Amino acid sequence: MAHESHSSGHSGGHAHVIPQSKLIATMGALTGLMLLTIFAAQVPYWFPAFAWLKDQHLLMNLIAIGIAFWKAWLVVSIFMGVKFATKLTRLFAIGGFVWFTLMFITMIDYFTRPWEPVKGWEAGNSSALPRNVARPE
Amino acid sequence: MGGHAPVTNDPDADEVYFQYEDIDQQQESYVVGMWAFLVTEVMFFGALFLMYAIYRWKWHTDFYLVHKQLDWQLGGLNTFVLLISSFCVAMAVHYAQLKKPKQQLICLGITLACAFGFLGIKTIEYSSKFEHNLFPNHSFVYADHKVTSYGMEKKDVTGRAAGVEHAKKVKKPQEGDPNRARLFLSLYFAMTGLHGLHVVIGILVIGTLMIMIARKSPLITDYVPTEMIGLYWHFVDLVWIFLYPLFYLIPK
Repeated sequence: MAHESHSSGHSGGHAHVIPQSKLIATMGALTGLMLLTIFAAQVPYWFPAFAWLKDQHLLMNLIAIGIAFWKAWLVVSIFMGVKFATKLTRLFAIGGFVWFTLMFITMIDYFTRPWEPVKGWEAGNSSALPRNVARPE
Repeated sequence: MGGHAPVTNDPDADEVYFQYEDIDQQQESYVVGMWAFLVTEVMFFGALFLMYAIYRWKWHTDFYLVHKQLDWQLGGLNTFVLLISSFCVAMAVHYAQLKKPKQQLICLGITLACAFGFLGIKTIEYSSKFEHNLFPNHSFVYADHKVTSYGMEKKDVTGRAAGVEHAKKVKKPQEGDPNRARLFLSLYFAMTGLHGLHVVIGILVIGTLMIMIARKSPLITDYVPTEMIGLYWHFVDLVWIFLYPLFYLIPK
């Protein structure tokens, strides 16, 4: 790995100083991606030629989430310095976000089964509270 | 070792505590410890994101209709403000490593100003939601329906004077099921509120750090405190990077 950690056997507290130009470039990229995500979300409403995108739910969601992850990666790797950090630091950082993604395995349940109504929680009588609560008149 | 500059020539900064092999191991343990804390924060917010995902999956049409109540321009401005603040923190760490406290303080100052700016814009957004009775409490009204924990009922416009005022105040057309609207806005206030709380904590921590640097506190001997606080602040930015498209830019 080109950017090996600062703990490479040298004593004396060396730290990786991220050059200013790199930070500015990252800031520029983040701003560009922010504008891109806004543009992507509004383009079906601004330009009639792209109105068909309104029905592309999956594509539009994937674009929005994809850009969010791209921005997150830039912040984590450059601003938070994980790209230049030690392997142990990377393990912790990546572990957190892998766990975050794994948590969404829960969604399999919702994707594959119908929504099962719970007695007393039916739609139409909608409330998150049980129905035997005394109601004020 | 291209790009690796020796940073700490200060004898105080090189002090290695007895439990560490050398200064590198000591510095690494700080960063790993901070990341361990940030992972717990990811779990903290992760549960809310999962809850959001489940209800968005279930009621995506209503979520799309209700999200129009939010102001994507103000949200976008807030995204940009947080990006600037994150950049300034990264610059502050950069200057801390180069031992330039003056520039470091300027960068942290801009960060602090951005944090206050973020809260200011958030206050404008929240207060308009309160004004339109969109805060999910006992006075929640959406599309002429009052939704409380007891259920939903058609809002009696003539009953209360507030009802008439409310009808005048609402500018945007309110579409979608009022119950789902309450759910969406509950998630909105819970998640942006928790994020806002993190911004407030960030202000306190960055402010304290600035005072300590300005007073040349003996506790600040190197760049590590700035880097740790920087990691926290980048995390706050990170959460908003996901909150913005999920709440303000929902596709149909």
